[in-house]
Amino acid sequence: MIEALLQGFSVAMMPENLLFIFIGVLIGQVVGALPGVGPAAGMALLLPLTFGLEPVTAIMMLAGIMYGGQYGGTLTSVLINVPGEASGVMTAMDGHAMARQGRAGAALAIAAIGSFIAGLGAVLAVAVITPPLASIGLKFNAPEYFLLALLGVIAVGSLGDAPIRSLLAGVLGLLIALVGVDPLTGTPRLNFGIPALYQGIDFIPVAIGVFGIAEVLHSLERSEKVEPIRTRLKDMWLTSQDWAACRFSILRGGVIGLFVGIMPGAGASVASLLSYLTERKFSKHPERFGSGAIDGVAAAESANNAASHGALIPMLSLGIPGSASSAVLLAALILHGIKPGPMLMSTESALVWGLIASMVVGNLFLLILNLPMAPVFAALLRVPYVYLAPGILVISLVGAYAATLSMATVWMCIVFGLLGWLMMKLDIPRAPLVLALVLAPLMEASLRQALLLSLGSPMIFVERPISAVLLAAVLFALIAPIVRVMRKRP
Amino acid sequence: MNMKLNLGAVLALGLTCTTAFAQEMRAPEGPIEFTVGSAAGGTPDVIMRTIAQIMNEEGIVENPIVIQNRSGAGHSNAYNHVLGLPGDENTLLTLASPVFTTPIVQGTPSVIDQITPIAGFVQSELMLLTTPTSEWTGIQDMVAAAQANPGAVRVAGGASGGNDHIATGLVEKAAGITLTYIPHESGGAARATFLGGNVELHFATLAEGMEQIAAGTAKPLGLLSAARRTEAGVADIPTLQEQGVDVVYTQFWGVGGPPQMDPALAAWWADKFRQATETQTWKDGLAANMQLGNFYALDEAKTYFAAEQDTFRAVLTQIGLAK
Repeated sequence: MIEALLQGFSVAMMPENLLFIFIGVLIGQVVGALPGVGPAAGMALLLPLTFGLEPVTAIMMLAGIMYGGQYGGTLTSVLINVPGEASGVMTAMDGHAMARQGRAGAALAIAAIGSFIAGLGAVLAVAVITPPLASIGLKFNAPEYFLLALLGVIAVGSLGDAPIRSLLAGVLGLLIALVGVDPLTGTPRLNFGIPALYQGIDFIPVAIGVFGIAEVLHSLERSEKVEPIRTRLKDMWLTSQDWAACRFSILRGGVIGLFVGIMPGAGASVASLLSYLTERKFSKHPERFGSGAIDGVAAAESANNAASHGALIPMLSLGIPGSASSAVLLAALILHGIKPGPMLMSTESALVWGLIASMVVGNLFLLILNLPMAPVFAALLRVPYVYLAPGILVISLVGAYAATLSMATVWMCIVFGLLGWLMMKLDIPRAPLVLALVLAPLMEASLRQALLLSLGSPMIFVERPISAVLLAAVLFALIAPIVRVMRKRP
Repeated sequence: MNMKLNLGAVLALGLTCTTAFAQEMRAPEGPIEFTVGSAAGGTPDVIMRTIAQIMNEEGIVENPIVIQNRSGAGHSNAYNHVLGLPGDENTLLTLASPVFTTPIVQGTPSVIDQITPIAGFVQSELMLLTTPTSEWTGIQDMVAAAQANPGAVRVAGGASGGNDHIATGLVEKAAGITLTYIPHESGGAARATFLGGNVELHFATLAEGMEQIAAGTAKPLGLLSAARRTEAGVADIPTLQEQGVDVVYTQFWGVGGPPQMDPALAAWWADKFRQATETQTWKDGLAANMQLGNFYALDEAKTYFAAEQDTFRAVLTQIGLAK
């Protein structure tokens, strides 16, 4: 296997391949930073351009866009509080708070380092243990996904200072997720006869609205008083305390990300949420989470990058795409005349190992690209907000349009901007709404699939070992706070 | 609105009928959009990208072709986009089963009756798989199990009302049994459920199915085709029909123009699709993916699509999804 990996490196290090890996990660960085245009859309756009390339070069470049997008998404999350993708919501929570304290550079740097380390670890996992890992991924199915999503939704209630407010926002998110189409029967529901609602409300207009637009609206009210965020050069970089706080967050985030990534049904967003919540449990200062904890940023970012690599495991070994971007990668294989499926690892081993080696190289490129640039990007915040705000509005609305090529999404984005602004005024946290919206479809569809699988018996949640463990975790998460309150009372 | 669209359909129908014999051809000008209702990576997307590449690279079509994924809502984003461009000369709609089934399920006017049929050019046969450890050796064993315990045999498939669901409905009807159909958001997700050993049955295209069989992760119960395949390895797999369950169902893809498309333009496109499908590159692709290349153009395509639409409506009514 070492031999195979070395051979992979010899393929990846060919000048032409190096060039295209670099182009791939660069494009990934850019599309990741644009809200609305995710890596999957970027890959699909560039797919036709790869037809002239060797299949292995094409796949290396497209994969570069995939994981490069995870690095790029950090930029807008941290700097302007607009997560370009669902997996960036957790990064925005603490990353943007850090930016407000003038530490955007540190947040971007730790995100890059965390992503790099976790990405590298995930690549090694892909290389060493792909077949067994893929079979672990298959042990997760509807009952486990339901409990995982439920755990996430319950945990969402604990984001922010007041659980009631967070839960309120979370329930609102679940409600929004119901609009559109029944995920199992395909029956339209709650669309009120408005064509724009027929297909449901997507994550992108909601996230762009409640985060980006709401922020701008909110700033209008205090335009006189807003001062540019002061950034001193020494705050731009990581301190040794920062590093000490983050070492293990990156490790834990990477492991969680990898495991969530290999489940074909869950994705980078679930990974970053779970990792963030785990980190807060481990942290010595959980109260700082949400108001600029650097280990929160490290955990979320390393988890989403590890998950984006982990999604390749079911793709390479089973032919099942674990995410939207790995689905495009799968299509690219087919278009280049390579048949994906369980036999891919043995029939196309040069390609698979070349891809694995290219991901090591690509992650290194991204680290080199991002570390020196972190202070530069962070310096953007020195621009007074009055000048920044129109730019944020334009990026947000263009992103919303680009996501679906429809004006309806832009209007939706504005409506959610107003909602987000209202929530800011009422001091209701916004992240729970967006996270609940992301988790709800998984939760709903998998509950119903689970009950179909068991032919109606709820015992399926207890009978399956992994499911039983998750159920215990759910019960603990529900009961523990009650017990804590009971104990405090005399 | 409906009235207007139906009128358009009648008009388009009339025009194609009168000029089909003349086969007058006219090329479109400027870039072309192939509208695809699936996300990048879905089968319709891969098919259209492949054929667009062949058309451009082999000089069959000089106009640059762009694949536009207008995914979501059972292809209705894509077909509504094309239906909203009557007479447009630069947009074609990819026809896949959701273009037929979504209007039936949602109770909206048929799309296929409104668009301008151009060609049906690729088909995929399906096979029914079961888990590798299953005791069943043929379809009749499964039928017996389902008869003994109605609803206990489970099928993991794609979206509700989609291809897998239709195939399930056809098997249920032909064998007189009741199965439990478990819909998933994508074919990949359904395959994960099947490979995880959570259900008994799963439909796959021949290429996908043979990969699973080779890897030892699935066992075939039969083909949903009228005849066996001839390739070594596949030739051993019997059809459902020869095992006494009379189901023949093939997935197919095609292409159509907007309502009221100039018949000369439609004829030109039909000719270009014919040329592209006659290239060696295309034929090699069909062989590698074990797909069929039956070609239906213009009026033939119209008849073919209408017949398929009738099948879809019948099955969706039977499984209670038609509106």
